[in-house]
Amino acid sequence: MADRVERLTNLLALLLETREPLTLHVIAAELGGQYPASEQARRAGFERDKAALREIGIEISSVTLSGDRAGEMGYWVERSSYELPDLGLEPDEVRALQVALAMTRPDSAVGEEALWKLGGVAGGVGGPVRMHLPELKLLPMLRAAVAARRPVGFEYGEVDRVVEPWGVLLRDGFWYLVGFDRHRKARRTFRVDRIVGDVVELEEHFERGGDTDLRSALPDDPLLLGAEGATTTEAVIRIGVRRAAGVVRELGSERVRAVLDGGGVEVTVPYVNEAAMRSWVLGHLEDAEVIEPAELRSSIVAWLEGCLR
Amino acid sequence: MSQRPATERLRRLLVMLPWLMERGEVPVAEAAERFRIDEASLVRDLELVAMCGLPPYVDEMIDLFIDEGVIVTGVPRLFTRPLRLNRVEAFELLAAGRAAMNLPGADPDGALNRGLLKVARGLGEDDTGVVVVNPTPVTVATLTDAAVERRRVAVSYQSHTADAPSERVLTPYVVATAHGKWYVVAHDDRSGEVRTFRVDRIESVVDAGPAEVAAPEELPMPGEWFAEGDVARATLLVSPEGRWVIERYPVDAVSEPDDLGRCTVRLPVTSERWLERLLVRLGPAVSLLEPESMRNLAERAATRVLANYR
Repeated sequence: MADRVERLTNLLALLLETREPLTLHVIAAELGGQYPASEQARRAGFERDKAALREIGIEISSVTLSGDRAGEMGYWVERSSYELPDLGLEPDEVRALQVALAMTRPDSAVGEEALWKLGGVAGGVGGPVRMHLPELKLLPMLRAAVAARRPVGFEYGEVDRVVEPWGVLLRDGFWYLVGFDRHRKARRTFRVDRIVGDVVELEEHFERGGDTDLRSALPDDPLLLGAEGATTTEAVIRIGVRRAAGVVRELGSERVRAVLDGGGVEVTVPYVNEAAMRSWVLGHLEDAEVIEPAELRSSIVAWLEGCLR
Repeated sequence: MSQRPATERLRRLLVMLPWLMERGEVPVAEAAERFRIDEASLVRDLELVAMCGLPPYVDEMIDLFIDEGVIVTGVPRLFTRPLRLNRVEAFELLAAGRAAMNLPGADPDGALNRGLLKVARGLGEDDTGVVVVNPTPVTVATLTDAAVERRRVAVSYQSHTADAPSERVLTPYVVATAHGKWYVVAHDDRSGEVRTFRVDRIESVVDAGPAEVAAPEELPMPGEWFAEGDVARATLLVSPEGRWVIERYPVDAVSEPDDLGRCTVRLPVTSERWLERLLVRLGPAVSLLEPESMRNLAERAATRVLANYR
């Protein structure tokens, strides 16, 4: 039997070159005996080849024919969906992309393949600055939905959402999806790693509205995450001497309410999300104590007592 | 005969052919190295596609032969353009590019930004679909300059275990950001070793003259910050509410979730105090399975914190 690569190459060439959709009967005849003779085995072989081409990113289009071949399926490959358009990249631009990959995704096989397609080559040194990009399997399809302007459906926070995606945003080590939540009728930000299960792309188009800038989607202060439409509470936290300098550096000196004897400080910290606030306070262990509000203070005490098992 | 899967061979061919056609003549060795394939497989696959084509013009579809170690391509007819970028590749390029644009030294008018714009447009989107925001503290720029110019710096470093900051002289090699934090990999005069330091714990930086220690050949890469074998490991049982730990910190291994959605997570422990903080923040969402010696760590830490409130 002929090498499978040969049959796949011939099939792809035929389907790319044809001016009209071809039936399986015609395809088998053109490929001169590369498919089995029996109808059933030929169909099975063709379906396997279709799947193999799809695996490397080539979609075979199909249509139900009319006229003298009415009811039969016709197949072809749309050249524009197969070929990479000429992006007009200059050699220095391809090299810059190579360096960017070396700085952020060294050893990425996917990145190497992408560079080959652009006429470049992977590898090389990325210089003295590097960034680790967290990998999440949903990201490529979310970005594709952003580009195609297709709404996506997914489960998040035990609620089924339909979101018009504006983009994905990496901040402080987490990826977020920013978009318009159709049920809430407002802009919402979702942590991509908290999306439950799969994301479905809807077969429709949306138009983007006015302000869709992703950068404004997250407040600068992580404790104010989820602030859209929620009320902000202000806590007073006492910080021990050991962590005082670091906390003041983190929050800014305008948050210092009092400097205590011995070098500790009392700082005011606005927050929206109690869980985030609790995590921040407990991150300082015995060097931080909640003074106000009383509800936060008692919830921290209850949490700590829960740790005494 | 050892065979790579047909799909992988075809995919590689469809990327190689346009490149070969554009050049006309390429030594087999050069093509093999570039596309990371052994020469024998490369020659076999190219000879195979040279026989491909359709009646009546077999042999004309892909006009290619190999002569004395050189691949010669004739008039290109088919497969002249590479395959489109798939979703995963497109994301990889954009994310890497956007991330690099956020690092110190990136030039908004430079080649990378121009290239990214072209890629984004080629993928059918305006320039806004993937955004990376990663604030760069001033100290990071100072440390990066020191690494580029091969300088040493004197720093005051507050480790999370010590009570008072320590004074050290560092020779920075790599500045890197991971999980929302900045780190510097540097030779440390106190220990005489290459170590990783958190930039936000550096309280002051002063230039200390030219570097005296050459960079080692192997430096830790992003994502393997605390991956050295001699760092202690802990094994945690984590409920779904505590799953963020897996995203946030480098972990060695994560099990499949059990019936209650709980995973077993093995991770490096940089210090006992770090683990205390993690356990107290996770509270009821975690229990520590190993090591035995740290079993009541969370309880002890919680007791200390509770003393503030009583």
